[in-house]
Amino acid sequence: MTAGLQTAIRRIARFSAYELTVFAVVVALFLVALVGPLLAPPSIYTSNMLETLMPPSADHWLGTDDQGRDIAWRLVAGAQLSLLATMLVVILYSAIGMLVATLATVGPRWADELLMRISDIGLSLPGLVVALGIATVLGPSLQSGIIALALTGWPMTARILRTTMRQTMEQSFVEGATVLGVSRTRLMLKHVLPNSLDVLIVKWAGDLSYTMLILAGLSFIGVGAQPPSPEWGAMISGARSYTSIAWWAVAAPGAAIVINAVAFALLADILQVHRDPSLRS
Amino acid sequence: MSYLRLVGQRLVMMVLTLWGLATLVFIMIKLIPGDEAQVAAGAGATAEQVAQVTKRLGLDQPIPLQYLNFLGRLLRGDLGTSVVSSKPVLTELAAVLPSTLELMVFASILGVLLAFPAALVAATFRGKVVDGVSRLVAVMGGAMPTFWLALMLQYFLGSVLRITPITGQHSFGVSAPSITGMPTVDALLAGNLSAFFDALAYLILPAFVFAVPFASQVYRILRATLLGVLASDLVLPVLAKGASTRRIVLRHALPNSLAPTVSLIGTLVGGMVGGAILIETVFARRGVGGYLANSVALKDTYAVLGAVMFVGVTVCVVNLVADIATLMLDPRVRGTQFRSGAK
Repeated sequence: MTAGLQTAIRRIARFSAYELTVFAVVVALFLVALVGPLLAPPSIYTSNMLETLMPPSADHWLGTDDQGRDIAWRLVAGAQLSLLATMLVVILYSAIGMLVATLATVGPRWADELLMRISDIGLSLPGLVVALGIATVLGPSLQSGIIALALTGWPMTARILRTTMRQTMEQSFVEGATVLGVSRTRLMLKHVLPNSLDVLIVKWAGDLSYTMLILAGLSFIGVGAQPPSPEWGAMISGARSYTSIAWWAVAAPGAAIVINAVAFALLADILQVHRDPSLRS
Repeated sequence: MSYLRLVGQRLVMMVLTLWGLATLVFIMIKLIPGDEAQVAAGAGATAEQVAQVTKRLGLDQPIPLQYLNFLGRLLRGDLGTSVVSSKPVLTELAAVLPSTLELMVFASILGVLLAFPAALVAATFRGKVVDGVSRLVAVMGGAMPTFWLALMLQYFLGSVLRITPITGQHSFGVSAPSITGMPTVDALLAGNLSAFFDALAYLILPAFVFAVPFASQVYRILRATLLGVLASDLVLPVLAKGASTRRIVLRHALPNSLAPTVSLIGTLVGGMVGGAILIETVFARRGVGGYLANSVALKDTYAVLGAVMFVGVTVCVVNLVADIATLMLDPRVRGTQFRSGAK
């Protein structure tokens, strides 16, 4: 027990104060997303015509929107939608990417060649535009946005993971497992895949940052989440028409997106440096 | 590996990519809810018109044949017909493409002008305050929704301070006759300087917003490559000679860091055609992206899918040009491309 605690402390001590701050912010953002909708008052889902477009004040920290709803609480409530949707997209396309990479590694040479060519094709297509097409066909909603981005996001994961899995296949423990008669399926799922995944961890943090932006963009164009949903992109889209009389209604949800996206981008940088010590200054 | 063969390889890859995209678009058309002929003919079409469309698009034939017909129509440049305007999608898009290209060119020039000095200064003063600040600015620039930055700048610079125009491409009544479709170029061709500066004023804000994420990426890769070169043995003899840091960075590190940066710029410029959707919508500019967003708003699904195909072709062509430019700029790249290509 104490040995475990000591290792934990030693691990934490490897990080600088700045890095720990970034971790703390990311954890806090996830906490807000987790409990946000439980804390938010029900008034954020109904109109209050007596308090529309109020500037930030002690009562309404970030002001109110055109329906008199408190913007700060809507941001807290919308954190779950925005962050969960973002995570869901990354999880879904990572799963597709893992499947493709595994099939390419175990399969015959032509399957590998075919899957990688398809990945290349996916990589050279403009993701946002194809996602826009898919979401339009599926009908505008947050679900369509998520599906569209999941279907267009996987090629990079597949490519990176397939390269790493090939390298892992050449390591001696894989050879050992083969000699011991471990089945091919078990070898891939229990040994090669788990030992190749750490290359993706850095990518996941960066992907969260990027996906959050692109998902908000889809909502803004009108094929993602629809107002009155408190999803942040939809909030910006809804408040856009009255920017000139209530700029805070546009500024606040955008700032929430920036804070999240910056936190994830910084997290990705930190993880990258710890993976590759040569980058440390 | 001859140069021509490399370009040929890229061309084959491009054709494959476009074929993949065409297949994807075909599947999407098949997935549109409702009767396809009815959708293509428009909501108010009579039974006769629907029958006509069914015949024209060959919708009464088996799916594989429909697919071949679809590919054939694409090869002839038929991207479908807009239900809203009843005009061919290709004609409408070709008319607005120059405006998008104008925006992209200005934005990439602006992005390079922002990123290069920042990266050079950051690499020279590594670990100092300038480095830290510019890195933070770059991270924030890359993590900012462009449409949001645009709305904020429109409000503060346009509405409050009244420095820049807010939306559109030229002031009322101030425009040169359209020859190329690019307002700034048209004004120059007409020798109308006031129209040129007017168009430029309308261009500066969208180009800047477009340039921010671009510059952020260029900055990051250039700074990283510069630091890599500065840490390598290449610099030692120059250092021993007593050259100043400034000279080392500008004369030795920079030329050796250009190849990956140029390659990235190529990829980014290709991706910009997609990013134009958000920028052109916010700034109400004519362009491929604006057309696409507009079609989405009007639920003109055929126009959307036609535009998706069009953007795909544009991106592939831009990428091909960028690839060839990279090859021509740096003979060393030819070697590496060969290795990765052969595997």
